[in-house]
Amino acid sequence: MKVLRRCFIRMFRRRAASATIVALSALTFVAASREQASGAGSRATTLRIAFNADNPLLTSLDPFQVYWIEHRVVLRNVVESLTDQDPATGKIIPWLAESWETGADGASYLFKLREGVTFSNGEPLDAEAVKTAFDADKAFLATSPGAFGAAFLEGYDHAEVIDPHRIRIVLSKPNAGFLQATSTTTLAILAPESYKRSAKERSLGAIIGTGPFVLASYTPDVGLELVRRKGYGWASHAVDNGGEAYLDRIEVRYVPEASVRNGQFTLGETDILWPRDPFSEADIRVFKGKGAAIASRSLPGPAYNLYPNVAAGRPLADPGLRKALQKSIDRTSYARTVYSDDFPVVQGVLDATTPYFKSEKEKLAYDPEGAARLLEAAGWTLGKDRYRYKNGKRLSLLYVLWTKETAGDLLLQDQLRKVGIELKLSFLVPGEMITALSAGKYDLVALYLTRGDPIALQSVLDPRFAPTGSRAAARNVFPPEIGPAAEKLFDAGLVATRGDDRARAYGELQDLLIDNNLAFPLFERVWQTALTGKVSGFAWTAEGFATLSSVRRTP
Amino acid sequence: MVDDSRSELSTARLRLAAGRAALGRSLRPSLRGAERLGHLLRRPGLVLSLAILAFVFVAAAAPTLLTSYDPYLTVPADRLAPPGAEHWFGADEIGRDLFARIVHGSSLSVQASSIAVGIAFSAGLVLGVIAGFAGGWTDAAIMRFIDVLLALPSLLLSLAIITAIGFGTIPVAVAVGVGIMPGFARTTRSEVLRVKTLPYVEAARLGGASRARTLLRHILPNSCGPVIVLATLDFGVAIIAVAGLSFLGFGAAPPAAEWGTLIANGRNFLVTAPWLSLIPGLFVMAVVLAANHIARTLEDGRP
Repeated sequence: MKVLRRCFIRMFRRRAASATIVALSALTFVAASREQASGAGSRATTLRIAFNADNPLLTSLDPFQVYWIEHRVVLRNVVESLTDQDPATGKIIPWLAESWETGADGASYLFKLREGVTFSNGEPLDAEAVKTAFDADKAFLATSPGAFGAAFLEGYDHAEVIDPHRIRIVLSKPNAGFLQATSTTTLAILAPESYKRSAKERSLGAIIGTGPFVLASYTPDVGLELVRRKGYGWASHAVDNGGEAYLDRIEVRYVPEASVRNGQFTLGETDILWPRDPFSEADIRVFKGKGAAIASRSLPGPAYNLYPNVAAGRPLADPGLRKALQKSIDRTSYARTVYSDDFPVVQGVLDATTPYFKSEKEKLAYDPEGAARLLEAAGWTLGKDRYRYKNGKRLSLLYVLWTKETAGDLLLQDQLRKVGIELKLSFLVPGEMITALSAGKYDLVALYLTRGDPIALQSVLDPRFAPTGSRAAARNVFPPEIGPAAEKLFDAGLVATRGDDRARAYGELQDLLIDNNLAFPLFERVWQTALTGKVSGFAWTAEGFATLSSVRRTP
Repeated sequence: MVDDSRSELSTARLRLAAGRAALGRSLRPSLRGAERLGHLLRRPGLVLSLAILAFVFVAAAAPTLLTSYDPYLTVPADRLAPPGAEHWFGADEIGRDLFARIVHGSSLSVQASSIAVGIAFSAGLVLGVIAGFAGGWTDAAIMRFIDVLLALPSLLLSLAIITAIGFGTIPVAVAVGVGIMPGFARTTRSEVLRVKTLPYVEAARLGGASRARTLLRHILPNSCGPVIVLATLDFGVAIIAVAGLSFLGFGAAPPAAEWGTLIANGRNFLVTAPWLSLIPGLFVMAVVLAANHIARTLEDGRP
């Protein structure tokens, strides 16, 4: 017995000793890698950004095709546009074009280009290069009409090179959103060499621009790397640092798992934490406790709205039910519960940073009693299970989700349950989603798009412009008696060249959507980032992206 | 080597035989009540395990007896409330009571695990009996099929099945059931092979009993004891597998939540509100340990 016990103890000791050795060597390894990292930091400043997942539907960095906002942040620092948009006022200001004149008919623009601008491969930016870019985009659209850039390039006919630094862009019909489109990454000007490559090569990173950073590598789903462009010096006035970037390198990683992403940030392995969804109150407390700062901006374009399927036979074809649904949503509680106490409450169809935004606050008030009255009057009576029934059929709505259900979706589900509406959540993978949308087998779906112009509404909701994947959903939003009126307002906004006319058209459109309850705003799409104490100089662009050339990082 | 494995085999047989004897004994009303109580008191682990399982089954059958909270009611003011007098296990990120959610989740989890074990038990028993009794080519074919299933990790097999048949509690149960079925088939077959050669079976055959009668009256009742023990053992395994699949998001549609879903939902709050994941996790652990403890007791034949 004794021998046995001694043997056991010895074994245990030996095990403990080897475990200690393993632990020690792991520690030294960690220390060594830390040293290496900080050693590299003293020579070159690297900024590490962690985004949510890479785009699962479309692997592309091609500016004309990209709608994924994380990619557009990156592209904003690599490629540049003819104009820029002032983040404070939403006005269009000079960038690669020093000045421009709009033709009398609103269908042509004469741009005078800035001199001395070169692409990172040495080619000069001149009128010929701009023409190549626009023509290449048009040619691409001819092969794939559903591309994201279609709405931006709408009406583009041809470009006339007048001299090396003057170019006239001619549209076949007026497009009031065109000038704003020239400020976006979507219509950015790439080097002629980029357009000699195939669209697929561009998608995988053959992007040559004039920006303050150069794209060094892109590995889909993993990350990408930017390096400083030497000799840069033509930023727009909206950017603090007009010269070369302060940072040497930027490392971007895609981290889909929120807990991992947040953990890396709190451990100091990430400098800018930049997920898609805003942070919760609890996360913000942890980050602030670590000395981090939170930057936020609401993304211009439609708010996070649910759009109904009003096709005949679906429950939401009934305007009274839509009205009751609108009244059953408690938006203040949504913003406070899912996000944080100072989170803005959504006020209308558009986010507050969108030009021509109109507040519809009064019409979006929470009124569960009013909703209950409407439902009672329509013959939906409460059953034993607290859901409402008519003719033995439960009042049930199917909400199809692009991602796994969030806390917000569950909160909405419970808010509707309080008035007796059952909300079924169904997460669909992209293929199933497209089938469900085109077959009309859903009641509510969320669609959105980020663009610093209310014309974004048209890209989302006008079936003539919506991307192929969600075109059927756009068609299902408008009942036949309202469709023509909506189309008229979309067109009025598109061709109106005077600010007042656009304001009126888009104001009426926002009213139309809310008065007929064809959009159910849930929350303001606020984009938030957490910045470590080492990072300074972070600023948002008008579209909610960032120009990283003015960012500094202390080692 | 050979000796070793033989002795291992024979110990296993002894334990199985003891298990059978124990089952038989527990069916006979020979032990007096007081004596039985004394046995139980000497084994507090068993009492605790029985109490935990009893709690789970009550929760599954009548959750409203255990909690007055509505598991789906959101109370924004109480979001991420820590465990306390009002919310025994705390509240989640939209203010739903975690204790109520665990209690109400029991019925889904228990249901899924029971269906899974039921499928594995019945399918395994049928396949094993046919293979063991028929022998020859039938045996070889069925056993090679079982070998193929055994070669795949059971969780991976379940994942493949669930991707094919869709999400939900019943699909999860079916997937887990098929995943653990091969063990049942194997155990049944070996028992049938053993029982088949025993003298009383031969006597029955010589006495003119038909094949079906021999199988149903003599072989089946005498070979299912160890399979029942395996079923109680695998109940714990099934709970873990079901929780694992619902953790991965294959379980019931929200807002209904199985235990695994609760653990998964708390993941993002591991730093700020660790109880959201830990309490459901510890609860699953307690239930699985309890199920295992009871199964071991049955196996040892000392109730």
